[in-house]
Amino acid sequence: MTRLLELESVSKVYGELRALDGISLAVPRGEWLSVVGPSGSGKTTLMNIVGAMDRASSGSVLLDGVELSDLGAKELAQIRRNTVGLIFQKFHLIGHLTAVENVMVAQYYHSMPDEAEAMAALGRVGLEQRAGHLPSQLSGGEQQRVCIARALINYPALILADEPTGNLDAANEEIVLDIFRSLHADGATLIVVTHDPAVAAEGQREIALEHGRMVREVFHDHG
Amino acid sequence: MKTVAEDFDAGAPERPAGPGPGRRVPGLAGAAAKAARRTMFWRMVARSVTRRRSRVLIAVLAVGIGATTLFALASIAADIPRQMTREMRAYGANLLVMPEDGTSKVSAAALGPVAEALGSAEVIGSVPYRYETLRLNEQPYLSAGADLVQVRQVSPYWYVEGDWPAAPGEVLIGQDIAEWIGLGPGDEIELVAAVENPAASPSAADSGDPGAAASGDDDLANGDDGVADSGDASAAASDDDGADEVLAEEATGLFRVAGVLSTGGSEDELILMSLDDIEQLTGLAGRYDVVEYSVAADSGRIEALAEQITAEVEGVSAAPVKRLTESDTYVLSMLRSLLALITVIVLALTMIGVSTTMMAVVAERQGEIALRKALGADNRAVEREFLSESLALGGLGGVIGTALGYALAQVISLNVFHRPVAMTWWLALVAVGLSTLVAWAAALALVRRAAEVDPAIVLRGE
Repeated sequence: MTRLLELESVSKVYGELRALDGISLAVPRGEWLSVVGPSGSGKTTLMNIVGAMDRASSGSVLLDGVELSDLGAKELAQIRRNTVGLIFQKFHLIGHLTAVENVMVAQYYHSMPDEAEAMAALGRVGLEQRAGHLPSQLSGGEQQRVCIARALINYPALILADEPTGNLDAANEEIVLDIFRSLHADGATLIVVTHDPAVAAEGQREIALEHGRMVREVFHDHG
Repeated sequence: MKTVAEDFDAGAPERPAGPGPGRRVPGLAGAAAKAARRTMFWRMVARSVTRRRSRVLIAVLAVGIGATTLFALASIAADIPRQMTREMRAYGANLLVMPEDGTSKVSAAALGPVAEALGSAEVIGSVPYRYETLRLNEQPYLSAGADLVQVRQVSPYWYVEGDWPAAPGEVLIGQDIAEWIGLGPGDEIELVAAVENPAASPSAADSGDPGAAASGDDDLANGDDGVADSGDASAAASDDDGADEVLAEEATGLFRVAGVLSTGGSEDELILMSLDDIEQLTGLAGRYDVVEYSVAADSGRIEALAEQITAEVEGVSAAPVKRLTESDTYVLSMLRSLLALITVIVLALTMIGVSTTMMAVVAERQGEIALRKALGADNRAVEREFLSESLALGGLGGVIGTALGYALAQVISLNVFHRPVAMTWWLALVAVGLSTLVAWAAALALVRRAAEVDPAIVLRGE
């Protein structure tokens, strides 16, 4: 299986603090990787670097064949819109846009907005009937599903989810995990950062970070 | 019941197995894609303006207050010349028409052509004056005859203690003369004039007053040619002193002092009566020394009118009253400078107000900007969106503010000038444009700085 992501001795230093300390990691296409670790372990820093939102202080990050360390702000923005789909713990929907418009924003930056396609994406997460609602009119679970629809609308090579179930109740957590399972079954590559061992166990592989270093790697057999 | 995941699987478009291929938009020409993007762009701007009402209201209010003050001031400043030239006419005549050679008189027949030359100019009033030197208590005093109703209209600032003359035989005495002689309203005085045409002077012919005897004082006749003729025609009047020289006949009239005139000017040494009275006393009608006009126009226009009258009307020469026309221009220029200064200050305050508001608006949306960048927007795309919003807010605030500014200008104009202010459409367009520009300029630096935000803050949950 070809590698979608390769990190080689990646470090990120903020003054005296080494947020990431020589991380090397390879993620094959189609893998579901879970990243766990306590607060301050470097999970978010790793997500930022992999998601082309930040640059490593040293080391190499190769995403979909492109070396991110060499790119400028504009090229990184291009990687974000074309290659990465982001799912956030706090959903981060734009408050004055409806659910469908929030999905269309991602289309707008990627290539061109298409309302029918955005509606279909909402339909896939079971929210077609709520497409015209503002985020404030949606439950937490519904907002997260809009966030997922937005992340998937451009068929990104890599889906990065940061604590995707952190703000959800058990029922909505299960709905979101169902969607992830379907995505994975379709061949999507997922990297999911989580505190929840149950969610981490859904991945094929689980890595644990501590003080910016990878301290553990576990493979889950889902039969 | 189907699960969401089943929905997801069922609704998924056909896509190759394995890694995401990235979204394709086949079959759409570049123009169609551009149009769809443009539609979405304005949709986002419109939603931001229409769905964030409280924030938009604050921003529109900040721009609107500036636009209101700006347009009200600008409207008044633009309308001031029209308003003030009328107001200034309360300070007397600003155009004089005199005999061309300085020694003859302006004939009544010349007034028609002068009126024609004035044409469309707004003439507040005109007063023909006939000046004579009359004797009172054996002392010569400059006296004037004029249409007293017109005098009041042209010089409303004149102060009269007592009453304005209302009947024939009533006069106004200048304050200085009244003090020198000790006269006041209601006193009777005897005025003596040299008669140029005795036949036309009933007071000289009929009075039989001993005071009508010739005094031989040529000065009273003002050096007029009529003196010699008059003297010839009334040689008997000079028999008393047995002199051989030809003397002018004198006419005497009894007058009642209706009021004491105080202007602070040369009129304080003047005896003013009706034109009929002075013509009757001196026996010369329809000829004037000067005709005063009060014209609602600026100094440039007055100068031009004076030149035109001098050139077109035979026998007269016209001149602006420099003191008044220059004072009009000075006051107008001062007022306009003051308004311009206030306008600049208001503009600066508006800029500060709008900047502060926009700063709050942009700061509040820092997270949204970071999210847009995380979704792939580059800095320019973010700047374009937010600056377009600020343009929309500026335009909206400008339109509302300009409408309110017109209402404010009306209130001010009606209270100060007692006349409505005219709507200046080009000025309204400038006010809306300026408001839009101010909103855009106020947002420019803020948005540029905000667009530099690190998209990673959305993952840090900030």
